[in-house]
Amino acid sequence: MRRIILLTVTLCFLPAILFVGGAAAQTDEFAMANEFYENKDYSSAVRLYLSVLNHGAESANLYFNLGNAYFKDGDLGHAVFYYLKARRLAPDDQDIIHNLEFVRQFSRVQMEGVELNPLRTFFIGLVEGYRLGTLAWLSSIFFILFVLILCVRYGLGVSNFPVRIGAVVLLVLLLASSGLTSFKYRDDYLTRRAVIITEDANVHTGPSDQSDVELEGAPGLIVEIISETVDYYDVLFENKRRGWIKKDQVAVL
Amino acid sequence: MSKSLTTTLICAMVLIALGGATGVRADDDTVVRVSLDRDTIGMDEQVVLEIEVSGSIQDLPPPQMPTLSMFEVYSQGRSSNISIVNGQVSSSVTYRYLLLPTKPGTFSIDRVAVVYNNKRYKGNEVNLTVLKSGSSVSQQLEERATDEEGSTRDYFLEADVDKRSPFVNEQVTLTLKFYIGVQHYGSPELSEPTTTGFWTEILGNKAAYYQVVNNRKYKVIERKYALFPTQTGELTIGRATIRTTVAAKSRRRDPFDMFGDFFGRGVEVTARSQPIKLNVQPLPEEGRPADFTGTIGAFSLSAQADKREVEVNQPVTVTVRISGTGNIKSIAEPVIPQLDEFRAYKASTNESISKLKDEIGGAKIYEEVFIPRRPGDLEIPALKYSYFDLKSRQYKYLTTQPIRIKAIKPEGYAASADLPYASPDLTIGSRSRDIRYIKEDIGATSRPGYMLFVTPVYLVVNGVPVVLLASLILVRRRREKLAGNVGLARSQAASKMARKRLAKARSLAHPESAEEFFAEIRLALIAYIADKLNISPHGLTVDGIGRLVGEKTDDGALVEKLVGVLQKCDYARFAPASLTQQDVAESLAAAEDIMIKLEAVAFA
Repeated sequence: MRRIILLTVTLCFLPAILFVGGAAAQTDEFAMANEFYENKDYSSAVRLYLSVLNHGAESANLYFNLGNAYFKDGDLGHAVFYYLKARRLAPDDQDIIHNLEFVRQFSRVQMEGVELNPLRTFFIGLVEGYRLGTLAWLSSIFFILFVLILCVRYGLGVSNFPVRIGAVVLLVLLLASSGLTSFKYRDDYLTRRAVIITEDANVHTGPSDQSDVELEGAPGLIVEIISETVDYYDVLFENKRRGWIKKDQVAVL
Repeated sequence: MSKSLTTTLICAMVLIALGGATGVRADDDTVVRVSLDRDTIGMDEQVVLEIEVSGSIQDLPPPQMPTLSMFEVYSQGRSSNISIVNGQVSSSVTYRYLLLPTKPGTFSIDRVAVVYNNKRYKGNEVNLTVLKSGSSVSQQLEERATDEEGSTRDYFLEADVDKRSPFVNEQVTLTLKFYIGVQHYGSPELSEPTTTGFWTEILGNKAAYYQVVNNRKYKVIERKYALFPTQTGELTIGRATIRTTVAAKSRRRDPFDMFGDFFGRGVEVTARSQPIKLNVQPLPEEGRPADFTGTIGAFSLSAQADKREVEVNQPVTVTVRISGTGNIKSIAEPVIPQLDEFRAYKASTNESISKLKDEIGGAKIYEEVFIPRRPGDLEIPALKYSYFDLKSRQYKYLTTQPIRIKAIKPEGYAASADLPYASPDLTIGSRSRDIRYIKEDIGATSRPGYMLFVTPVYLVVNGVPVVLLASLILVRRRREKLAGNVGLARSQAASKMARKRLAKARSLAHPESAEEFFAEIRLALIAYIADKLNISPHGLTVDGIGRLVGEKTDDGALVEKLVGVLQKCDYARFAPASLTQQDVAESLAAAEDIMIKLEAVAFA
């Protein structure tokens, strides 16, 4: 009987035990990677950080440290790539913002003449400091309050002036927060972005080596993926120049 | 201090500054350029002599002209130009003279000079040939000026090139001359010649001049092009077409048409040039360097570093300049060798194109950035560049001097000394010289691809209020529906009331309280049926109830059982003492069974 009880308890808590055990292993590996970094063995640090990532855990700090290790190891493209991943998880982290800004200066090619859409810039300015989850919860709060006030209005039949005004105000707040959440989601996840990671990354006028070279890319340049063929991505640079680049020359976010 | 006073002071300071910068200091950069619009003319023709005096002084003195006894000289005025760029003044004055020859021969004009502050600035020498025949034109031109009937043409368009068998990428100068011997109105409209197979640069138009062909004086409008053949073999320069309006010839003298010419009545005419065939030669194979990239002309090469001492990881910009005459646009970049001690990047490419003396030239300037990887005395090796020299007709090498760079390790740079990249000159939004340090802990982790929107917590939190709202709305609607339909309300409440009464009866199920028990059983059944049928329970008899239920169901046993229980209830009211515990229990079980079966009967 005691054996059965023990087995049952073990089975019930097995996922939790495994999770705690896995988390402890990840933390150990992370700490070890940090030690390699401190000893300036950046390639070993990169290997261990990637190992933590391969165990199915991601965090802004992990991506940040990966970006640092890649940068110190001389891989500008992957550094920018992982800083962008870190920024997506923690857009308000000043260390990430600083390092991303810092390392992008080293890109051999700077995208001059950037044409920005003022409306898009405005919306990005509104949401860039917030995590997607924060905006989603904010939308939820307004949604719940709006539904509750509808409960008062239609469930309980109370239809006085404060209830009507409250419903309108909450509806406006709900639409605004939902709109910003959708924009953030679209910008972070639906818009496919990539970072050039190889040194010789020629951008062609067509999806072929035979096509003319439109421009010379460089590690660390961020592009937006418009379409793709088997081997090439049709990419748009930040200054609106467009061309085709080989898939193995970029890392897709 | 008032605003107007401030403005006045600023203006005064600017004027003083400009005055200081634009003083009449004589510099040695004063240049005197002498040029003729043509180098060969006939006795009946004229030539324009231009003397341009330029320098960084404002009051440029007029030139001292030599005695030109073999010409009649007429001044055609002067034009001046002053520009101030970054406080540097540069000015030029151009004096124009019309020369009419008085005798044939070859004359040299070499003693034009400018004297300033007791210093003499001499101009360049130009030569002019005056033909005895009275005309500088070729026989071919005379033929072109003659029509089929042997008389001179009123207008014609002539195209000519300076060479017929150029090398590939060598400049060929195409000259279009529109000769017009009658009055014309407005500017002629030119359709450019087709130059397929050439890289073309327009050299420009020459000021109109006059020339005598076949004893007829023509006004000549001239335009020149520099053509660079891009392929070998036979290439053709297509026809050019020019359209203009000339004065119409009057066929007969009309005394009343005396104002016709005055008001400029004209007719539109078109002239076309002849196509020109060129035989483009390939460059000789003999002696061609392996790194030859097709540059042809006369060039020089220089390389200069912006600094000779620099911190490790800081950039040194080396400006490589290839200048001379030739097709500047086709000049390829010099090859920068791979260096272990430097990281080398291309920074920028610029070109400036000049068109001096109808020759395309200028400079191509490459900026290369070299970043020392380690401290010490380092060297950027000499650069080599090969080209085909047109004058000597052979390949030549241009080389620069090696550039020595002293790379020093900066003080207090330990934190950033291991940066794998050179520090950029400008730090965007930050004065930091390194990235911020790694995070000590891994922080909050999640699964890669984790999306809040699809987590159970998020869905439940957002779903519960919706369910609540739907429930409240349903309850409210139901209430409203029941309030407007008494029968329905009674029907729906009937079961609940009946269950309550049966529960009460169960609590009274003893022989001592048999009378109350049977009264409750009777009320439960009769009230249930009355509520279901929306009729008053008062005055309903047992038979009447049996009949009403019989109308709603085919289950005769149910009706019979119902009537039996109700009759037993009536009996118990009058003789309660005769009832035993078994009667009570059987009646309760029967009533409960009847109630279950009645629930299945459709009363509506």
